[in-house]
Amino acid sequence: MIYVINDIITGALIGLLYALVAMGFVVIYRASKVFNFAQGELVILGGFIVWYTTFELGLDLWLAIPLSLLLSALAGYLIERIFLTKLIGESVFSMVMVTVGLLILLRGIVLLLFGPAVRPFPVIFPLKPLFLGEMLIPMNLLIGGLITVVAAVGLSWFFNRTRAGLRMTAVAEDHVVASSMGISVKGSIAFAWVLGAVLSTVGAMIFLSGKSLTFLASEIGFAALPVALFAGLESIGGLILAGVIVGVAQSLATNYLDPLVGGALGTVVPYLIMLGILLIRPTGLFGWRTIERV
Amino acid sequence: MLELHNVEVTYSDVILALKGVSLSLREGQCVALLGGNGAGKSTILKAISGTLKSEDGKVSAGAITLEGTPIHNLEASEVVRRGLIHVMEGRRVLRHMTAEQNLIVGGHMVPDRAELKRRLDHVYTLMPRLANLKSRTAGFMSGGEQQLLLIGRAMMARPKIIAIDEPSLGLAPLMIHDVYEVLSRLKEEGTTFFLVEQNSAAGLGLADYAYVLENGRVVLDGRADKLAQNEDVKEFYLGVTASGERKSYRQVKHYRRRKRWLG
Repeated sequence: MIYVINDIITGALIGLLYALVAMGFVVIYRASKVFNFAQGELVILGGFIVWYTTFELGLDLWLAIPLSLLLSALAGYLIERIFLTKLIGESVFSMVMVTVGLLILLRGIVLLLFGPAVRPFPVIFPLKPLFLGEMLIPMNLLIGGLITVVAAVGLSWFFNRTRAGLRMTAVAEDHVVASSMGISVKGSIAFAWVLGAVLSTVGAMIFLSGKSLTFLASEIGFAALPVALFAGLESIGGLILAGVIVGVAQSLATNYLDPLVGGALGTVVPYLIMLGILLIRPTGLFGWRTIERV
Repeated sequence: MLELHNVEVTYSDVILALKGVSLSLREGQCVALLGGNGAGKSTILKAISGTLKSEDGKVSAGAITLEGTPIHNLEASEVVRRGLIHVMEGRRVLRHMTAEQNLIVGGHMVPDRAELKRRLDHVYTLMPRLANLKSRTAGFMSGGEQQLLLIGRAMMARPKIIAIDEPSLGLAPLMIHDVYEVLSRLKEEGTTFFLVEQNSAAGLGLADYAYVLENGRVVLDGRADKLAQNEDVKEFYLGVTASGERKSYRQVKHYRRRKRWLG
């Protein structure tokens, strides 16, 4: 029984990590209605920035982490200004295709700047697990989970309670109406990309802490995809619940169903959950449902 | 205060929607733009508020000035900062936000919280119905309530000019009365209005001055009370003939020919 509990705890914490990466999807989607296919590449870019500041520049973590967050914010801002700002008002399809192009371009840039070698990633969060009786909790994932919850509460408060956040929510609803009220749509979208890039870098720190840094890490972007769609692309609070459900289901499937069917089911389960919920509720659990007056 | 000089508007570089429109609005005045579908009324408001770009339109000739400064090339957000708010047609509330959140977004440029609160209170005093609905999701409000919310949202910015498009469209007569009562009180408080209306009786009832548009041109203008007595306006826009009788199909054809001639 204790193994099942441990698997559930680990699954829930991994799910919260997915939720953190999915938060990047949601923040960008809310502002621009664009589904950013390059979210996993933003995680990689963030990971390489952390690696560069710690191993290449040799900075201490207390200095390297804020500097990395700052650099990734700058990268997010530049990406939006260079590739997306001119497409505001164009079809969403064009913008989505740009994010697909961005996915390939970011991989190319990282490869060009840092080379193809596997890199070590600094130990940012303790690797030693926390033991509570017989329960074993991975410390890095626990801290990461707490960061995710704090980020979700903070961003929900920001988007629903502050004037700057409400401005961004207005942009999420209708660009034309927002600009007719004097809200800078371009500014809101640029800020969303900055936030998305910073969240991706935090995700990279939790995901890669003490591990190796390779391009394979970008797969977390696709792992986070079902969580974002499950929660609904406008809901930040919903990501926590969706992340926990997806993470636990994946963990249980990997540990208990994979041995029975010969593997790979754990990888598929999040997508099965996503498809199931999209069939029942196309806008996800907590996404904005279409309100039409008839 | 606001002036249009020979303004031409083109959509997609092809469709000429306004053909040299000139008009003006003085401080504290309510000016109505009347005309049928496709006359160019809403296009004028979009040209003024800088929202043409979202529909691939542009001011291709002429000038629009607000207090002497050209505004026709400005972004919509910049026009708002200069004191002109456009209340768009179609009751475009922020549907997933509450009524109060809509109002707060309307006052997003207000520097301090105390002032924001004062403005909210002013809106609620003028429209007590909104005070009772402050927590309601805007998308689930009735058409009339949404229209009041849009007026309240515009008021939150304390603009110099409110340009309002078809406030009575699709509303029940009682609700139209309520909406126009609010507009009337705002006018008494000194708000300057640019009002686009197909409901000419309501528009002329509130306005000081009015312009009649046909096919992208101003074909008639004058004091609202005078225009309300004009036989052509009465026939074309108020639906009243000299004898008070209903028109036959033959009369309607004649009426369309005369409108074309006027345009």
